[in-house]
Amino acid sequence: MLSRLITLCFALLFASGVAARDLQVALGAQDASQLDQRVEVNKAVVQPGSVSSFNEALAREICRRVGAHCVITPMRFAEILPGVEAGQFEMGFGNFLRSPDREKRVAFSEAIWRSSSRLVAKPQVAERLAQRIKQEVTLDSLRQVRVACIEGSMQHAYLRRVADEQALTLVPVKTMTDLLVALRENKADFTLEPMLSAYVKIAKEAPGSFEFVGPPVADRGLGGTVHIAIPKQQEDVLLIVNQAIAAMRTDGTYQRIVRQFFPFSMD
Amino acid sequence: MGRISVSSGNFSRSAWIDRILTNSSQFRFRASRAFALLAGVFALIFGLLLALLARDQQLVVEATDRLQQQTVPEIIRFQRLARNLEQLRQEGERIFAVNSPEARQQAVFVVTLVASHPSIIEHPQSAALARETERFLVEVNRQANENPAMLKDKYQDWVALASRLSLQVDDVAIQGINLTTADLTSVSRLMQTSRVKLIGALVLVGAFLLLLVFLLRKYLIRPLQKIDRQLSELSIERPEPEYPLTPITEIFSIEEASKRFHASLVENEHARHELEKLAHRDGLTGLINRRYFMLRAEAELLRAHRYERSVTVGMADLDFFKRINDTYGHAAGDVVLKTFAQMLLDSVRQTDLVCRYGGEEFAFVFPESTVEEARMLAERFRQRFSEYDIRLPDGGVVRITLSIGLADASRCPLEVALRHADDALYEAKHQGRNRVMIAAEDQPTSPV
Repeated sequence: MLSRLITLCFALLFASGVAARDLQVALGAQDASQLDQRVEVNKAVVQPGSVSSFNEALAREICRRVGAHCVITPMRFAEILPGVEAGQFEMGFGNFLRSPDREKRVAFSEAIWRSSSRLVAKPQVAERLAQRIKQEVTLDSLRQVRVACIEGSMQHAYLRRVADEQALTLVPVKTMTDLLVALRENKADFTLEPMLSAYVKIAKEAPGSFEFVGPPVADRGLGGTVHIAIPKQQEDVLLIVNQAIAAMRTDGTYQRIVRQFFPFSMD
Repeated sequence: MGRISVSSGNFSRSAWIDRILTNSSQFRFRASRAFALLAGVFALIFGLLLALLARDQQLVVEATDRLQQQTVPEIIRFQRLARNLEQLRQEGERIFAVNSPEARQQAVFVVTLVASHPSIIEHPQSAALARETERFLVEVNRQANENPAMLKDKYQDWVALASRLSLQVDDVAIQGINLTTADLTSVSRLMQTSRVKLIGALVLVGAFLLLLVFLLRKYLIRPLQKIDRQLSELSIERPEPEYPLTPITEIFSIEEASKRFHASLVENEHARHELEKLAHRDGLTGLINRRYFMLRAEAELLRAHRYERSVTVGMADLDFFKRINDTYGHAAGDVVLKTFAQMLLDSVRQTDLVCRYGGEEFAFVFPESTVEEARMLAERFRQRFSEYDIRLPDGGVVRITLSIGLADASRCPLEVALRHADDALYEAKHQGRNRVMIAAEDQPTSPV
């Protein structure tokens, strides 16, 4: 009770300060076409199934509740964390999973949704590997294949850890679109990517073009709660954002935003 | 028979306790220590109960906190898991319902997405069923892309799988509710336990108060009341106060003090009597002295005058007593006087007053006696004394006579009556000694 009271006092104390200034929001771009396009709040278009749009909607709602004027900047995933760390952005929406390394660099908000990772491949590629290794293709049974992932992501960090042991060739790319391009152009055999982001891209492809391979993975740092990255030095922003997230969950706004983009619960 | 046996047993036990209390002071203790011990035991037990209650309260607080912080969010997660499983089933239905491969593909992706969500992965039963559903639907979709007509063939299999999904949705929902039930049951059990402990604490307080009142009454108030009564009635006429056995040192001390006080009263009274006796008696003969005689005689004459009763006074003098002193010494004279006094005490009535009036002269008051009755008594004594052999310290034996004068005192003051008796004594001496003379008021004395 006391901690809540203190938090509320801090929130009220800093609310005016946050509201009085613009908030720079970094948003993970779905593809390169979105880059360098600044989006004013309330001018975005809802795109069902788009993680980027979903994050943007969340950012808009938080900004509305905070009462701040937000400017959203689509960015490559690998650039978001350094930008937030440097204080160029007050909020970074990059579907960030928490990790000890990241916690040293930035602060994280309360969870906004939960994520898992999964392998994606062309059906015939997956089938060939299954025949070769004579077992179901899973993250652990991958051997001697090329795996693409977003540079700087948790998937990238994991694959680097197991690459030598499983004789994997890593293919780091910048955006989600680049992952499908790598598969399509046969630059990679598999991709390891967040399910939600992968779903958006694969759903647009022709049936049978790509498929999810093996079971989903939520452990080993490849899944869990997703957070907004906030500069460590801006505790006032962290407090007010957490207040806004809690309020959104309490009054059902969060669930309504989720329903605009996805047909299932994100928590 | 049994009742007699029980009674006998109780009596024996009580007697045994009494004997212990009587014989051993080790079983007597200070009230302050006893009540401090009692209060300590009570505080310990009550404190223990309070600690247990506090622990229960803490557990309730923890349980409610757990309910709020963990269980409720967990229930919400279960609800969302159930919602996602239901979504999985709906997407499966969509695959069998739509005709376009694109729509089926869309549904398959949603199925895959939902089956991959952490909320399902972390729930083993749901994860297994979701994975099975995903594989089934992916395979159905793949075959349907080649031959859409096969959807009908697979539909029954899907119905069975969808049924299992529905059951899983229900199970998950119930599991979520059960989390609340477990916490609420825990809280309810704790509250019931707390209530029992609270009642226990109240009963303990009540019992302690009753015990305290009982002990105070039995070992302090009633003994003090008894002591108060005994002190109120304390006097030398009454026996030493008696108290029942007490285990309380302070009470015992007060009781013993009251006994010592009573003993002191008796001793003082005895001393007072002794002093009074010394003040009223003649040191040599043991007869009352002249001053005390005059007080007693005055009172006796007043009484006789008030009730118009007869009373006679007399004066006696040993004949030729100086000769005894001169011949045998003063020690012999003292023996004669003591012998005379002793014989006199043995001869007169208890109500008669006799004193050593001075030297070898003695005075009498005969209450309720006429002069004639007194004369008979005096004459009998004179006769007896004159014939009595008095053994002297040197072994010799002497006889001595006495002269007595009597006077009626029933109608005159004591001084007058004594003067009349003295006159009669003088007359007895004058007429040759060893005789009793009666003085007639305003008349010359007449010899007997």
